[in-house]
Amino acid sequence: MGEQKRIKILIAKPGLDGHDRGAKVVAQALKEAGMEVIYSGLHKTIDQIINIAIQEDVDVIGLSIMSGAHIPITQKLFKRLGEEGVTDKFVFVGGVIPGKDIPRLKGIGVAGVFPGGTPLAETIEFLKNIVK
Amino acid sequence: MDLVKKLLQGDEKSAARLISMVEEGRPEGFKAISLIYPHTGKAHVIGVTGAPGAGKSTLIGKLAMSFVSEGKKIGIIAVDPTSSKGGGALLGDRVRMREADKTGGIFIRSMAHRGYPGGIAKAAIGATYVLEGLGKDIIMVESVGAGQTEIQISALCDTVVTVVTSDYGDDIQLMKAGLIEIGDIVAVNKADKSGAEDTVRDISMHIGDRKQNGWKVPVVTVQSISGEGVEGLKNHLDAHFSFLRENTSGIQKKKERLKTMMLTLLKEEMWNTLMDKWSNTSEFQGIVGQLEDGKVDPYAAVHKASEMMFRT
Repeated sequence: MGEQKRIKILIAKPGLDGHDRGAKVVAQALKEAGMEVIYSGLHKTIDQIINIAIQEDVDVIGLSIMSGAHIPITQKLFKRLGEEGVTDKFVFVGGVIPGKDIPRLKGIGVAGVFPGGTPLAETIEFLKNIVK
Repeated sequence: MDLVKKLLQGDEKSAARLISMVEEGRPEGFKAISLIYPHTGKAHVIGVTGAPGAGKSTLIGKLAMSFVSEGKKIGIIAVDPTSSKGGGALLGDRVRMREADKTGGIFIRSMAHRGYPGGIAKAAIGATYVLEGLGKDIIMVESVGAGQTEIQISALCDTVVTVVTSDYGDDIQLMKAGLIEIGDIVAVNKADKSGAEDTVRDISMHIGDRKQNGWKVPVVTVQSISGEGVEGLKNHLDAHFSFLRENTSGIQKKKERLKTMMLTLLKEEMWNTLMDKWSNTSEFQGIVGQLEDGKVDPYAAVHKASEMMFRT
């Protein structure tokens, strides 16, 4: 009763991108799917995002990126996660992501990429499968 | 236990992990709490309650910055409601604590209340011990803001701040039992809005000369966005903490709080044990079925169920 493991997810908005409707829609959908979702708010630095992920002990970090800077942001996140010794969290990316960049993001270490237009059920299914 | 040792040396990752273990109800988590507990009892645990949208999170963020400027180390536990549909939660209090979120030495943990009564999460109790083990001097606990029934927060916290705004209602609301009577300090937030002065007057009149165990409840105005009045509120918090330590009524109150906390946890434990044992039995399902089919009334169904559970 109330004490089993729940999937905990950080939905984060890195950098100067102020478009958070998508992040909020995804956060709401994950909440309705029974997950505990922490929303970071806008304009977070990579270090802030990692700090939140550590303190909240989340299973998954979701980055919402509409600025086109998804490659450098994601690279920096993984570099800093490595330096901080945080290796137990999955990362997924959503937002405006051109199809050609998806393999590159996965090469950096991203577990899943869900560009705008992805059915919410697909993202939910993915998260339920990776967090065991 | 390795995690506890690392926690006591100030490792945030261990703190975060230990809180999760308590949240998940894992036996190792509770063993760890027993090891941490002897290191606790000195921090000032402050509860902040009030209606949704009253400005609790923003105010906590500002208070945290004010304490940090004095060199204090701060832990924050922000509890938000769990959805009754599906059990998920959106934990958004950090969004309101922008400055605190950026400041080193402040540990913020969001928590879903997971159906636990009294406006806090069951794990919030353990989390305060963990954060004190991490070396925090001040631990602020934000309640879900459900309104009139937040008694448990006063069992957990040394000092409770009730946050209200000028649209709280009227004197009838004040006369009802509830938030105002659990507050050791009442903060009227959004004091720049019209009606704030009237609110302070109404609440002050309502409280009158009544005292909480010898403590006269101050009513202060704050503007949590600009930070105006936060320093004054902080001074009242410090004063209340000194009061508790210097007065026998404060020591007595702490004993009562611990007992209340134990009884509440025990109630939860008994409920869980009984439901684990009975909820899937055909006997129990049968009683529920009779109720659903309109054959018995809810009181009679409860009577049957409890007779079933407690017959020896």
